[in-house]
Amino acid sequence: MNLVHRIAALGRGTLYLLESLGRAGIFLLQSSVGIPSREGWYLWLRQMHFVGVMSLAIVLVSGVFIGMVLSLQGYTILVDFGAEEALGQMVALSLLRELAPVVAALLFAGRAGSALTAEIGLMKATEQLSSMEMIGVDPLRRVVAPRLWAGFVSLPLLTVGFSVVGIWGGYLVGVEWLGVYEGAYWSGMQSSVGFFDDVGNGLVKSLVFALVVTWIAVFQGYDLIPTSEGISRATTRTVVYSSLAVLGLDFVLTTLMFGELG
Amino acid sequence: MKRSKMMEFGVGLFMLAGILGLVFLGLRVSGLGNGISGETFTLYADFANIGGLKPRSKVTLAGVQVGQVADVELDQEWFEARVTLKLDADLEGKLPRDTTAAILTSGLLGEQYLGLSVGGDPDTLANGDTIRDTQQALVLEELIQQFVSNMVRE
Amino acid sequence: MSDAMLVDLKGVRFSRGEKEIFRGVDLQVPRGKITAIMGPSGTGKTTLLKLIGGQLAPDSGSVCIAGQNVHRLPRRELFRLRRRMGMLFQSGALFSDLDVFENVAFPLRVHTDLPDAMIRDVVLMKLEAVGLRGARQLMPAELSGGMLRRVALARAVALDPELILYDEPFVGQDPISMGVLVQLIRKVNQALGLTAVVVSHDIKETLSIADYVYVISDGQVMAHGTPASLDVDQDPRVSQFIHGEPDGPVPFHYPAPDYFSDILAERAGS
Repeated sequence: MNLVHRIAALGRGTLYLLESLGRAGIFLLQSSVGIPSREGWYLWLRQMHFVGVMSLAIVLVSGVFIGMVLSLQGYTILVDFGAEEALGQMVALSLLRELAPVVAALLFAGRAGSALTAEIGLMKATEQLSSMEMIGVDPLRRVVAPRLWAGFVSLPLLTVGFSVVGIWGGYLVGVEWLGVYEGAYWSGMQSSVGFFDDVGNGLVKSLVFALVVTWIAVFQGYDLIPTSEGISRATTRTVVYSSLAVLGLDFVLTTLMFGELG
Repeated sequence: MKRSKMMEFGVGLFMLAGILGLVFLGLRVSGLGNGISGETFTLYADFANIGGLKPRSKVTLAGVQVGQVADVELDQEWFEARVTLKLDADLEGKLPRDTTAAILTSGLLGEQYLGLSVGGDPDTLANGDTIRDTQQALVLEELIQQFVSNMVRE
Repeated sequence: MSDAMLVDLKGVRFSRGEKEIFRGVDLQVPRGKITAIMGPSGTGKTTLLKLIGGQLAPDSGSVCIAGQNVHRLPRRELFRLRRRMGMLFQSGALFSDLDVFENVAFPLRVHTDLPDAMIRDVVLMKLEAVGLRGARQLMPAELSGGMLRRVALARAVALDPELILYDEPFVGQDPISMGVLVQLIRKVNQALGLTAVVVSHDIKETLSIADYVYVISDGQVMAHGTPASLDVDQDPRVSQFIHGEPDGPVPFHYPAPDYFSDILAERAGS
């Protein structure tokens, strides 16, 4: 009897999961498809400010520190093998392929994703979304779409910024402080970093993360139970789900992209 | 809808910074437009073992970069590695026929690159020619093995 | 369906999860009149408005507005139909990132191509009607509850709709702003000749402005008629509600096991 209950619970959970995924899919389709009006462009611009520009500080500061730490740790390991010339290549490859897309996405989920969920959730709780519908304006187009697109465009840009300042931070520590030969830092980097293989694949990763994180954030906001408890739970869910999704997808994407490069 | 110049300016700056960052990653970090930006010509070289040489590894002459490795493939007939080099077009018809190519390592464990050194043959290599005289990569394991077997023999 | 009826609900059933909220509601809203829908709290009056506005779909039955079945319309048509409706939400539901002026201008900006000068005239006219022309630069967070609702009313009538839906317009208002709202709703109706549906459980205020009243209880229409006829209705459930008696057919107690055995059971258990 107990077993039957458990199997039923498993089935119920699966159905619920599939239903949520279905709703999230339809939601994504309805809000992202369509040509924006002039007004729409401006709404997008405003969200670019809110989602992108406002996340710039935290992403750049983290990028510098990560680049510096990477350089310091890399140097202590490489110097044992007398291979500190490879420092630039190590810093650049770790940043471009892994750290910049992943860490920027995680920071983005915490900074912008949670804010998006809370904002849309609050609009739902105060019936602003309902009243927009009753005025005859589709909130998916007016509220959700600009945020979705702003997130999709912002995160790759932030990731690029993260890589650039990270490489600069690595340069500061490696070359200026630890005394690695400057020419080796850059030329080692240039000979091993491929624009399409490394920069390009890193960008593809961050585009995927951007879509997933923003999607989760706006969907959680739109779909939450409109109470203060519901908003706080949805905000937490946004950060948890998007972090897990980013880390999980990163493994999958890395296998697909760099698996055979080994 | 009220428009804010400051906000528009901020977003514009953000987009611009992103694009500039991408250009930086392209030029300074991945070295696009380095060495082989202009006209090139192609040479081939066969090696018994290329070690860690990869496409985009640099090709130097007297320590100066003159091109890069375009492709590495296996010669199915001789089971050797056939390396395609793209060299600066200025050098076309100037390299002697007995130029040698060696796979070298920068530092003890650094990146591997291809170093050319010229001979004295009056004939020169033309586009599509193959460098005859090559020196394979030093593979650390083989060196150690030789060293150990020498020790044992003594 | 007769032309005199703007909104026509036939056999509407709706349930949320396991809970059945409506079990076959029939309801007609005559054109140009104020129709009130009343009932104890928790009977899904707001849900009924959302069904009329097409934000929720009934499990069965039909909702027709001006002859169009709301839930059969494609999304685009539905949004077009909604331009002919206004809805006043319980909380006002003003857009918190826009000031009062822009809130009222919002429907005009998205649905018309009027030049800015004309939008300004219309907005000021609507704000004047609710007495808040001077508050046009304030943000919604700076307004009191009553003012929020007045701005929301100005926004709801900005496009001169045919039908306006009021969701609990009097809840939580002090007597003065309640009086202001009652007067405004009546004035707006007379001046614009529009049809209104008022959902409320504030009996006195609602009966004073309504032309026709539906009382909903247990997911069905319990009674309907003019305010005068309901006032003398013999049905004990209706009279309990209309006269606000604490106990009656609608019990004071939430369903529970017998009081004494419940207490004893607790003691035996511990």
